[in-house]
Amino acid sequence: MNVAQGLEKKLMPMAELVSKNKYLLTMRDSFAMLMPILIIGSMFTLVGNLPIPAWVDFLKSTTIQGKSLFSLLAIPSACTVSLMAIFLSFEIGYNFADQLGLEDRVSAGMVSLVSWFILMPQVTEFLPQGASQPFLVESIPLAWTGARGVFVAIIVGFLSVSIFGFAIKKNWVIRMPEGVPTSVSLAFSALVPMALTFAAVWAISVLFALTPWGDAFTCIYSMLQIPLTMLGGTVWALAIAYVIQGIFWFFGINGSNITSPIFTPILTALTLENQAAFAAGTALPNIINREFDAFFALFGGGGSTLSLLIVIFLFCNSRRAKDIAKISIVPGIFGINEPVMYGLPIVLNPIMAIPLIFTPVVNVLIAWSAMSTGLVPLCNGIMLPGSTPPLISGFLLCGWQGALLQLVLILIDMAIYLPFIKALDMQFLKEEKGAETEHVV
Amino acid sequence: MKKIDLFCSAGMSTSMLANKMQEVADAHGIQVKVEAFSSTAIDFQVEHDTPDCILLGPQVRFSFDDVNAKYGAKIPVGVIESADYGNLNGERVLKMAISLIKRGSTA
Repeated sequence: MNVAQGLEKKLMPMAELVSKNKYLLTMRDSFAMLMPILIIGSMFTLVGNLPIPAWVDFLKSTTIQGKSLFSLLAIPSACTVSLMAIFLSFEIGYNFADQLGLEDRVSAGMVSLVSWFILMPQVTEFLPQGASQPFLVESIPLAWTGARGVFVAIIVGFLSVSIFGFAIKKNWVIRMPEGVPTSVSLAFSALVPMALTFAAVWAISVLFALTPWGDAFTCIYSMLQIPLTMLGGTVWALAIAYVIQGIFWFFGINGSNITSPIFTPILTALTLENQAAFAAGTALPNIINREFDAFFALFGGGGSTLSLLIVIFLFCNSRRAKDIAKISIVPGIFGINEPVMYGLPIVLNPIMAIPLIFTPVVNVLIAWSAMSTGLVPLCNGIMLPGSTPPLISGFLLCGWQGALLQLVLILIDMAIYLPFIKALDMQFLKEEKGAETEHVV
Repeated sequence: MKKIDLFCSAGMSTSMLANKMQEVADAHGIQVKVEAFSSTAIDFQVEHDTPDCILLGPQVRFSFDDVNAKYGAKIPVGVIESADYGNLNGERVLKMAISLIKRGSTA
């Protein structure tokens, strides 16, 4: 166990670093706040695009005041998913203020939001039929308010609130005399720091106009978001993330807490690209995305332990294993698996290390192969709550082939876990027999 | 009424343990209120609810030093044993919490 202890000593500070990192915590909290909005918005897209042609025909042919039900159903999605970067921009500022210890979190959210708008090119190109030159229409371009504006929102949120917070901490504020209501004095105290931040961000936007990109959005999108999503959207990046998660779990540290703050922005952007294509009826672009990660890599939480629980019910005889499986199965269906992790235990148990680390990797590789060969359709980009049970999630995301793939993966995972849990079960049985004979003596 | 607050990464699995602890306490007529939260809520809970004991789930045990340095002098802080956590052994964890409250300080 010496190697293990050495590794644990190295991993604990890493976990602490990630779990205390101001930027990662801000991203985690902001995406968590955003998730309900995205899930609800995508439910409307799902209803409008159910894989039943008669239903879609009905929606398209039924009109209210000249507008089809199909186009009316797209409104909630357009106001949630397609505007997500606006909300994210506020939330990054709001949550980052908390991490920096700033009192006025709402002002910080507004600072982040306004800064994001300052950097946005506020024109949309419009080419009327027959015209050769596009018109530049002054507007807030919807192209930037959805998934494509996400990385800019994150970066600008951190930058602008850092400047805002710096000014506040330097005490460059207008103080109101005592007796002035708090809301009034807060508004005044935010005045100077806000003005400084907006001036700085405005100067940055002017500087960007001199670059070949023309604006910060185009630059960050093409230099950062595209490369990062291409890298993070590969099957190997995801497989490596699961090896890392598995190693953390082995030491009893919630592995997805370590990797997901980094992966969530990338995977969410990829999912939303698919959703846009799904709603438009064009080919889905990305195999790897948030739903792939959430519903095809793991079943029943880290290590894909749902299969382990099923194997215990079917093939194990020791009281200890069966008791743990009984308390773990219901939360396990919804992806919570701490009881079996710590109770069996899987944590720090050398017998269970291999299936714990490699089962999710096997899932990722098989699911990716099934989708890249066209056997199973890609995830349609609908966002589901993380606790949606397997088979249901697979059906909603990829049709019956998705549910079948999940079933096959669960069976494969059971086969992987079987020899390891049987070895552990034998050990438990021996211990239980030993305890019984002791009682008799 | 003593307040025992449990913290894990999301407050989901600890809420199952918290329920078990509450059941054991109620069955024995022990006056406590056991609740579970996300580990990000520690500061908020201490500020607004002043628990009498802070228990950390084993998956966030790396934050013990931090939390203990911050609050240990006033509020005893403990890390729940992995085995008790996994088996949802409410009785043992409740005993641990009570002995921590009696100690009064862990810093």
